Amino acid sequence: MTTVSLKVNGQVVERDVPDNTLLAFFLREELGLTGTHVGCDTSQCGCCVVRLDGTTVKSCTTLVHQIQGSSVETVESLAKGDQLHPIQQAFTDCHALQCGYCTPGMMMSALDLIEHHQEVLTPEVVRAEMEGNLCRCTGYHNIVKAVVQASKVMKEGVSPV
Amino acid sequence: MKNLKLNAVGTPLQRKEDIRLMRGEGRFSDDQTMPSQVWAWMVRSPHPHAKILKIDKSTALTMPGVLGVFTGQDCLDAGLKPINHNPVPATQYDVKLRGRDNTEVFVGRHHLLPADKARFVGEALAMVVATTREQAFLASLAVDIEYEVLPFVIDTEQAAQANSPPVWDDLEDNVFVDSSYGDKAAVEAAFAKAHHVVSLKTHIQRVTAVTMEPRAALGFYDASTDRYTLYAGSGSAVRQKRELASVLGIEPDHLRVLSLDVGGNFGSRNRVYVEFGLVLWASKCVGRPVKFRADRTESFLSDYQGRDLVTSVSLAMDEKGKFLALKADNISNSGYCCVSLSPLSKGSGLITGNYDIPCITLRARAVYSNTMATQAYRSSGRPEVTYAIERLIDKAAAELGFDRLALRRQNLVRADQMPYTNAMGLEYDSGEYEANMDRILALSDWAGAQERKAAAKARGKLWGVGFANYVESSIGTPKERVDVIVLNNRIEVVIGTQSAGQGHETSFAQVAADLLGVPFEKVFIIAGDTDRVSAGGGTHSGRSLRHASTVLSLATQELVVRAKEMLHALVGATPSEVYFEGGSLKWPQGAQEWSWFELAELAQSSTLEPSLKTLKVRTDHEMHTPVFPNGACVCEIEIDPQTGSLTLMRYSSVDDVGRCINPLIVHGQTHGGIAQGVGQAMWEECFLDPESGQPISSSLMDYGMPRFDNMPSFKTQIVEVLSPTNPFGVKAGGEGGTTPALAVIMSAVEDALRPLCGPLNFEMPATALKVWTALNEAQKHSTPQKTAA
Repeated sequence: MTTVSLKVNGQVVERDVPDNTLLAFFLREELGLTGTHVGCDTSQCGCCVVRLDGTTVKSCTTLVHQIQGSSVETVESLAKGDQLHPIQQAFTDCHALQCGYCTPGMMMSALDLIEHHQEVLTPEVVRAEMEGNLCRCTGYHNIVKAVVQASKVMKEGVSPV
Repeated sequence: MKNLKLNAVGTPLQRKEDIRLMRGEGRFSDDQTMPSQVWAWMVRSPHPHAKILKIDKSTALTMPGVLGVFTGQDCLDAGLKPINHNPVPATQYDVKLRGRDNTEVFVGRHHLLPADKARFVGEALAMVVATTREQAFLASLAVDIEYEVLPFVIDTEQAAQANSPPVWDDLEDNVFVDSSYGDKAAVEAAFAKAHHVVSLKTHIQRVTAVTMEPRAALGFYDASTDRYTLYAGSGSAVRQKRELASVLGIEPDHLRVLSLDVGGNFGSRNRVYVEFGLVLWASKCVGRPVKFRADRTESFLSDYQGRDLVTSVSLAMDEKGKFLALKADNISNSGYCCVSLSPLSKGSGLITGNYDIPCITLRARAVYSNTMATQAYRSSGRPEVTYAIERLIDKAAAELGFDRLALRRQNLVRADQMPYTNAMGLEYDSGEYEANMDRILALSDWAGAQERKAAAKARGKLWGVGFANYVESSIGTPKERVDVIVLNNRIEVVIGTQSAGQGHETSFAQVAADLLGVPFEKVFIIAGDTDRVSAGGGTHSGRSLRHASTVLSLATQELVVRAKEMLHALVGATPSEVYFEGGSLKWPQGAQEWSWFELAELAQSSTLEPSLKTLKVRTDHEMHTPVFPNGACVCEIEIDPQTGSLTLMRYSSVDDVGRCINPLIVHGQTHGGIAQGVGQAMWEECFLDPESGQPISSSLMDYGMPRFDNMPSFKTQIVEVLSPTNPFGVKAGGEGGTTPALAVIMSAVEDALRPLCGPLNFEMPATALKVWTALNEAQKHSTPQKTAA
């Protein structure tokens, strides 16, 4: 057991956990933040993507002790009360989720992508850059639409008609 | 239905379920946690086939945190029963499958853990329960199992051979279904006079569902109430409750099953998994809640798998290309035990596809093998037979010099033949097959494809255009139940069938809202908890919306009757004077009217006795009649001849779903369905090493999947030819995307390669290696290879 101290969704948390604790299970089982999902154990599916100090990581293969003192944001941080984040609004507008299991990781990856690109995203860029997130329900079509829509809203303040 | 005003139905409303799922507030199986829960880990077989000689638990039992080690013999000693999957489809319209010489089908014994033999690589042979998941895993490595390794069979055709090693000692070989259908004399006569006969033999390979949520379960036995609780995502909590109660030997009321949010199903979660029974039993044994969570590799090894059909088809034609007769011989690989014969049965009924073929013969066999069990997988059985007939027609067109579209048009079942009974005896309810072809040719810009092909050639690329028609059947479990409960501010609809992403909370609410004349926002769908839901068939075979809308229509009528009785008791209204219109119960004689909510309020605040105060009905309905969703699709593929790599450039689909309740959801279902079909055609395969029987595509690093960067955006068009079989005219929208996708992709691949390679000489998936090899072989030989596909 070693003490780990992190900022998670703006709150400082401190826990004694075994040295081999992975961030995904720290969030889910220690903090009860079950919005972050685990779909594989090999960093392939992207269900567990969270934001870490301004970038993204696959939390199922990140040891929590590796990121001592870091700031983590999960899907639970997106909405402000009843106000959905533009990425959430875009996902529901475009029907970009079906079972919803991959959705938290999808949205966290998409946010990172939008924020790290100066321009409004094109479908081609979304398809190339989000290749590390898998979805089995949507065939990706509506997720691409949603990420492009969210990037428009976030870059240009353009709301969808 | 004629006078029903549709407000919500037909509108692309955003889904009610989205908000909790996007906020991270879903309730998936592994999200459930109980204080003092402990963990189960399975010891899985490394052998495809081996006798279990001895299981030594002694070391494992001494390891830290271990609470118990359980084996197949322990299951037998505890009196646990095998899972009764009820695998033989039995509605009036299912094709009847029988054992050899019309005997009963031998379905094997699906024990939670086997005591006798391991029958596939990955089969759970023992369970370790320990305080933490890690402790359970570590102790599982110390469970010492002594095996006698046996000869095994994994290949479908080899399993059909008389000398293949029997998976079940009860049978002399591995063929456990062998049924023949059709008019043999008529077919032989038609073949004798045929001008052309074309034949095709192909293997529709085994794939797996890869639900993004790996399966998980939390079982809890409460000794104070003698009651079990299971949290486990599935296609039907009701079915899980019934079958698991039977395994445990308890009354169903002593088990509550909760299947809340489910991270994808596609058929793989319809049947009971051994781990679900094991965590319940273990919880009673160790006195703590027991949790299991599969790793992705465990999911690849032991999720119920799909497809795996070897089909041989021959088509007799006259000189002008009119289809005269079809012969088919289908062998379905059921794996190590028989969980469901749905794929074989459903496919058998549809071997003639969209075409008017007067007579057929079919031999349908199912075989056991040393592989994971197969089950219905998205569009159970239909993509396989669609693949056979559509590829056969492409082959006939190419070999005999017919235009592939004209040959199809000439033989389609015409709209004026509907309802049409096919040669297997299934009655197609409705559809406009030729109009679908016109629609898809326009939607896909078929006419422009040759220009795109020429442009690709100029870039040094090969370009192929694929075409396929499809018709599929939606049958499924015939019974459904709904409870409709009117409260003073909302309407609750409790229904047995449940969603794994199909959006029932939205589409069912749209139907109920319009039937009852209330705002969509006021309707709440409740499913997946057997303490609320008492009966219902579950989601499969595209049955849910058809059954839900039908039983809701009946429930509405019953609710009106109930409301009239209430008003009689409350205000003295004569029932015949009260009528329901525009969301209100109107009583002109009393110059009064009530909304549903006002009536509920009135009843609640009345002096009626408590049991009569609530406005609610329970309605059961049984519907056997199938419906036949149908459509057509076109795709275009570019191939780089240097590397063999394929790029899917365009994909268009026209789908007749009957009444479309929510276009947003239906298009989404089509997109996802397409991706799963394309995945099978291009990348996916549960590949077992033939020498060792070891699965070698058992992680997301080895199993090719549809991804953002290998899928195109789609053009999809919904057609609504209403089915005459149910009040709303619903067919189904969940499986049409998948049904023709295998055929259309391979049609495009062949179209691209044919000028250089001749007919396709490889099976799905069309990997870059296979394409490159075919091109290389063709280049080596001066003349194209003419081997049959």
